[in-house]
Amino acid sequence: MATFSLFDIQARPNRLFAQALSCLLFVLCVGLYIQTSVKRHQENSEDRVVPNARQLMTGIHSSVLEPAEEDDYVAPDNASKWERLHHSMIWKDTFASGRRFLISLILLAPAVLLALHIGLFPYFGAGFLRFILFFDKIVALSLLPILFIVFGIDEWSKIALIVIGVAPTMILDVTQMVKAVPREQIVKAFTLDANDFDVAYRVIFRQVLPQVINSLRLNLKPMMLFLFAGEMIAASDGLAYRIAIMRRHMGMDVILPYVLWVAFLLYCIDLALRVLNRRMHPWFQS
Amino acid sequence: MTITVRRSFLAAFCFVLMTSGMLLASETASAEVPTFTVGWSVYAGWNPYFYMQKSGILKKWADKYGIAIKVQRFDYAASLDSFVAKNIDACTMTNMEALDMPAAAGVDSTVLIVGDYSNGNDAVLVRNGLTFDKLSGQRIMLVQKTVSEYLLERAMVLNGQQAQLPKLHLINTSDSDIVPAFMNNSSNTTVVTWKPLVSQILVDQSVHSIFDSSKIPGEILDLLVIRTEVLNRPDGSGAKFAKAINGAWYEAMQKLTSSGATQTQALKISASASGDSIDSYREQLKTTYLFAEPKAAAEFTTGTLLKQKMELVRQFCFKHGLLGKDIKSVEDVAIAYPDGSVQGRKDRVRLRFNPIYMQAAQQGKL
Repeated sequence: MATFSLFDIQARPNRLFAQALSCLLFVLCVGLYIQTSVKRHQENSEDRVVPNARQLMTGIHSSVLEPAEEDDYVAPDNASKWERLHHSMIWKDTFASGRRFLISLILLAPAVLLALHIGLFPYFGAGFLRFILFFDKIVALSLLPILFIVFGIDEWSKIALIVIGVAPTMILDVTQMVKAVPREQIVKAFTLDANDFDVAYRVIFRQVLPQVINSLRLNLKPMMLFLFAGEMIAASDGLAYRIAIMRRHMGMDVILPYVLWVAFLLYCIDLALRVLNRRMHPWFQS
Repeated sequence: MTITVRRSFLAAFCFVLMTSGMLLASETASAEVPTFTVGWSVYAGWNPYFYMQKSGILKKWADKYGIAIKVQRFDYAASLDSFVAKNIDACTMTNMEALDMPAAAGVDSTVLIVGDYSNGNDAVLVRNGLTFDKLSGQRIMLVQKTVSEYLLERAMVLNGQQAQLPKLHLINTSDSDIVPAFMNNSSNTTVVTWKPLVSQILVDQSVHSIFDSSKIPGEILDLLVIRTEVLNRPDGSGAKFAKAINGAWYEAMQKLTSSGATQTQALKISASASGDSIDSYREQLKTTYLFAEPKAAAEFTTGTLLKQKMELVRQFCFKHGLLGKDIKSVEDVAIAYPDGSVQGRKDRVRLRFNPIYMQAAQQGKL
């Protein structure tokens, strides 16, 4: 058996080594953080820019088990952990942001259907494609004052920002997928007495659906970015609202846990979509 | 072959030697002159820093004390971040942020210049003649945890509506979008903000001011703050900086409040710092109480009034958690005054008011 050096394409690290290697950068980052934190705390024991473990624990404790400052809820003395969590700051913010996120996710569904039609029906393509190509290049954030007029400063302007920001890109992406389906299949389906509906929804749509879900997975982060932008500009609750407020007095002890929490949530949504995709479409090789 | 390789090595070696020599030389050159960086952000009372730099006044004073002073413009929040992270030596900020940003983060800070106080620059604006007793339940747009929220709270207290405070529905709105967000929708009834945004909103005839900072004079102070460790550097360069910046500041103040062409020039450059017209800048200055004379600034700093105002501010900061999750008592971020008295625990002084250099300017000893 041939032996390969460390950097050969055909090299095969054993399982343990591969696992260790994949953790290396995490350890490195945490190490760098700790080093910076220790150094800054030596200079100034109350440093808030790079909080140490104790400060982070205080921050996590207060965000997970204590109500938000603006709430009047006072936990009874015998309140269980669950009850405290239920009224906590992070719960409230996650709920508010999650609702906006989910609503915009649901609103993206019509966009996908529109894309299917644009890619498949020439009249739809003629009517929409050029406009969406143009609209996609507009920086949605700069439209915000207009969104405020149309949707007010409450929930809908933030949701609209997400949808306007992400939908055109998704539409273009899905249109490409639809167009990539071989023409022969469509012709074949028609010769087998399929109607327009059959071709669109039973031949094409089911084929591109796994790709659509993958595209959605890639768009999760832009969606979160737009949600954050909206919440930082005008809000009274939400994950990004809290981060914006905490920034005013350098509450990094709360901001860092929040940032990690958002990353974890996004990872979970992504994982869920991936698993769903594999279950629904075992035939799909991405 | 080997010869050419050797030659190129030699050339590279020489190059490295030369550049490092040059770097060293430039480093030693700059090490001879202590350099200080002042961060400032756009505001009527701070725009003169731009004028000081543009007009050469600052350089004149820096040269006099054998130091170099750089002036750098920031966004307000970014300037505070840089100051706390110790990237800049001195920074303009309000008394509230001096307490809740550097001081609460353990960065011992000293107030070098008490420049002005907001005397109407910050205002509570309402639509359709709304009054304070009807504010509860209304949506109020403002940048939360800033002097805007402080002003609103003081306004409620002074109008006897303290009990309503928890019922206010505050919407944190970025100052970059607060004007269009408020004006474009008549269902938004209340906004708290500062000039020139206030003037932009008051263009709407149905909106008027029901409270402004002229009713709480001396509570929203605009300061120049320096890290105490920089001021007290053993080589004395910090003190030189303090003298130079005070000298330059009061020369700029004098030009700004003089008359004729000098004043117009000073106003024009200061206004251009924030992209304002001279008229708009004059209007902002009308509601800014400038301590143009070092005497006035020094007297205010050494007076008892300051302590009362700071007491209100520090209680507000503590009540709103602005001093941080770690700070369990308002006494843990203490303030030291010129007469030696301390608000809070003596072993935890984090913010100091130092009138020495303003007094030196007053006595013409700079």
